[in-house]
Amino acid sequence: MRRTGRTFLGAAVAAGLAAALLAGRPAAAQAPAKAPPPSPAPARAKEPSPAGSPAAAKDAWKREFEDVCAKTQDAMSLTSEELRALVARCDKLKPAVDALDETERKVASRRLRECRNLYQFVLESRDGR
Amino acid sequence: MKRLGIATVAVLVLSLPALAHAEQTSGKKRRPLPPEFGRVVLDAESKKAGVPPVVFDHWLHRSKYTCRLCHVDIGFAMTANGTKVKAADNAAGFYCGACHDGKRVTDGRKIFDSCGKGSPQEVRGTCLRCHSQGKNVVPQVDFVAFTKGLPKGRLGNGVDWELAEEKGLIKPIDFLEGVSVPRKSLTAQKDFALSPKLEGMPEIIFSHSKHTVWNGCELCHPEIFGAVKKGSVKYTMSEIFDGKYCGVCHVTVAFPMQDCQRCHAKPVK
Repeated sequence: MRRTGRTFLGAAVAAGLAAALLAGRPAAAQAPAKAPPPSPAPARAKEPSPAGSPAAAKDAWKREFEDVCAKTQDAMSLTSEELRALVARCDKLKPAVDALDETERKVASRRLRECRNLYQFVLESRDGR
Repeated sequence: MKRLGIATVAVLVLSLPALAHAEQTSGKKRRPLPPEFGRVVLDAESKKAGVPPVVFDHWLHRSKYTCRLCHVDIGFAMTANGTKVKAADNAAGFYCGACHDGKRVTDGRKIFDSCGKGSPQEVRGTCLRCHSQGKNVVPQVDFVAFTKGLPKGRLGNGVDWELAEEKGLIKPIDFLEGVSVPRKSLTAQKDFALSPKLEGMPEIIFSHSKHTVWNGCELCHPEIFGAVKKGSVKYTMSEIFDGKYCGVCHVTVAFPMQDCQRCHAKPVK
């Protein structure tokens, strides 16, 4: 019972944070990530959740996460302004990731940290030249 | 000709203390046999759960998946036991369970379910495929048969994995549906040369393209290579043999550093 309560609280916090995140983003950035190439049945792919539900908010953090972390390959070609914006988005997303359940939090927070630190690293390496 | 001779002697002289250092820091460990190179034993959670530790050999997975896929997208730490994977994590579709879910197919076969449900007999049999330390488990894929057609390497697994990929003999996957973030293909940065400390040593040619194919950017930067200004960190062979910098991979999984010329590759002028 206690665990259910905690889970609900976590989902609610994530919902609020993700909604706030999406509200502050430009419309183009809210577009879902590009469709991935065809491959076997996804392990964790889910049907879209009903709008407004905690599950939908959960999807929202993931969309934002995927959008932010999709640019690591382009980091060197991004402008400093773009990199700063990405770092800020990573920082803004962190509370939503911290509110996830243990395993998902462990995976997502590591990945988010790696994205953020790479953008920061590229920024700093420009200043360091 | 004379310079080549000096360079060869210099390579030998430089590698001796490094080899001696490696020997000291690793105790009197024997050099792993080709099938054992890249083996990690994961016992952070296994013993607590009353099962034998997991014995993970990199060679099979590295032939099918990029380093980045497992160490960035799936989230495995770069040190053994750094991730602290639990059975529940796998059963929920994370870490090993991201692929080992009993549904995903590779090479026309379903990938077996890790830490999943089943009859006790099934579970026991499946568990032992990974939780195999101290058990006489015959692997489903035989190392010798698997590597037979691959180009030979001098050390490590005895396979030149880089050449194997170049020849199309292995095609490591870099995207896992439902786990990886869709992104553009990477434009690799230029290769560059690093000057060795010892005069007469061949320069180190660092190939970004070779590394980024398997690793992406964020696997190395900034966690392993954090210096933001070129030349601000003086890398030493001693540190590298201790598992820092290049040694994070080239001590454990990637071709070992005793293969000097693969890095010290630029001919001495």
